[in-house]
Amino acid sequence: MQFLAYILRQTGKNLRQTWGTQVMTLLTVTLSVLIFAFFFLIYTNMLRASARLGDDVRLIVYLDQEVTEQMRPGLEKKIHDFGPVEKIVFVSRTEAFARLSAQLGKEKDILNDLGPDFLPPSIEVYPLKNLNDLTRISQFSDFLLTLPHAAKVQSGSDWLRRFGYFTNLLRIVVLLSGSLLIISMTFIVSYTLRLTVLSRQGELEILRLLGATSAYIRLPLLLEGMLQGLLGSGLGLTALYFLYQWIASRFSGPGFLKLFDFAFFPPELTGAILLAGVVLCTVGSLFSIRRFIRI
Amino acid sequence: MPRDASTDKPLVELVNVTKIYPPDVVAVEDVSLRIYKGEILFLTGMSGAGKTTLIKLICRLETPTRGLIEVAGRDLSQISTAGVQRMRQKIGVAYQDFRLLDKQTVLQNIAMAMEVTYASTKVIRARVEELLALLNLSDKRDKLASELSRGEQQRVALARAAANGPSLLLADEPTGNLDPAATELVINLFRHLNEKNGSTIVVATHDPSIYAETEHRVMTLNNGQLSAHPNRSPRQIELFEA
Ligand SMILES: Nc1ncnc2c1ncn2[C@@H]1O[C@H](COP(=O)(O)OP(=O)(O)OP(=O)(O)O)[C@@H](O)[C@H]1O
Ligand SMILES: [Mg+2]
Repeated sequence: MQFLAYILRQTGKNLRQTWGTQVMTLLTVTLSVLIFAFFFLIYTNMLRASARLGDDVRLIVYLDQEVTEQMRPGLEKKIHDFGPVEKIVFVSRTEAFARLSAQLGKEKDILNDLGPDFLPPSIEVYPLKNLNDLTRISQFSDFLLTLPHAAKVQSGSDWLRRFGYFTNLLRIVVLLSGSLLIISMTFIVSYTLRLTVLSRQGELEILRLLGATSAYIRLPLLLEGMLQGLLGSGLGLTALYFLYQWIASRFSGPGFLKLFDFAFFPPELTGAILLAGVVLCTVGSLFSIRRFIRI
Repeated sequence: MPRDASTDKPLVELVNVTKIYPPDVVAVEDVSLRIYKGEILFLTGMSGAGKTTLIKLICRLETPTRGLIEVAGRDLSQISTAGVQRMRQKIGVAYQDFRLLDKQTVLQNIAMAMEVTYASTKVIRARVEELLALLNLSDKRDKLASELSRGEQQRVALARAAANGPSLLLADEPTGNLDPAATELVINLFRHLNEKNGSTIVVATHDPSIYAETEHRVMTLNNGQLSAHPNRSPRQIELFEA
């Protein structure tokens, strides 16, 4: 108990002695967490959105000839052999015509002059959902083009691919801001601690002479780093939450955000970021403790 | 209270200890010495004779170039960092240059020694008051160390060394800046610690007034070499040779 009281009191003393630097450090840590968490939030939302959009991916193979009942099993086998497929739907000319007229509803009169044969037959292929792999889809579409009588393959994945590129780009941004986070936290915290150590140099020297234990000298500094991490990431995440609230209220209603169902981090992830902040700052303080304090 | 040298195990033992500061300053040369539990030992010698060095060797602020030093039966060259820390908590050292923190109060300076042992605030407070009263410093409790006279700082350094009731007190030139009245207070503090607490006390000094009348052992360093002080009783010589 007495031990804890001393450690806490000493930590408080350290913080007071270098409070200007402490505030700057806190702001840096807060900002790093905010920047990283901001990009990370967008990234996780993009991932979720693309997972949901991936459900709708289908490849349509337009044919220049009707597929007969006898040909179907052969074609199905070929497609299954190439890759996992959820389902395959054969659409004949008449079925295509029926669909279109159903879609047109009242306007279906415009089809009157056209024979029921004017639409091409097609095969609709629904690949298994793993959209992460957009190259797989384009490979799939290349393969489908080699099927007998295939005239054209419409993958509808062009914009998905662009979406995928963007997600990848964002991944890089997240990694970069993550590295920034790691660097700024460990370095800034260890730098601040160095100042603390320097400002207490005389005192530390005397403490050594008096036989202060390593824990007595080091724990307050370690605690200082942990505190910086906890407060800094806490503030950064809080700021992000308010930013998120503001954006969500600004852009509520139908549109982009609704499409993506923009959501904040789940509690576990929030906790994980907080923990990462604490760990990083503690590591930073460990650095300078090891470097600058002889016992 | 001198002990019978032949039966007690020494608290401090130096065997052929030499300390050479780089490049070639021989501060202590081939010194062998046993200090027994409960003993008061005076260490005299001219300036530069090696008194401070000897004291620093005993509390492991310096390491010997050659020779063996044991404190409480433990070889100081083999002792771990944690071991040194524990040992220093039990050894009180009043440094010749005081080593006080200028920007802290007398109370804080003395309390520091007890805080590292995690003593409770109440215990610390009481002990500091007691020591300040013994050294006639009660009215200086809340003054900054830098505001004190040399003589007052010297007594604060002593109070800090005595704070934990150390089993070994090393006092380096404790009366250098003191008038006879203050010197008397310091001698009384030593006696008090020695009798009430059983502390072993080593006093390095060139102030003959504090060892002239003593029945305790007096040793002299001369250019780093240790010998019994001249003009001492045969008993002193006998103790030294034991
Ligand atoms: N850190 C050091 N580096 C080099 N030489 C040193 C160091 N400390 C002491 N010396 C030298 O070692 C010798 C013994 O010094 P020491 O301080 O032990 O003497 P002393 O007996 O305490 O003297 P005084 O009575 O003046 O305090 C001196 O010649 C001194 O110059
Ligand atoms: Mg000296």
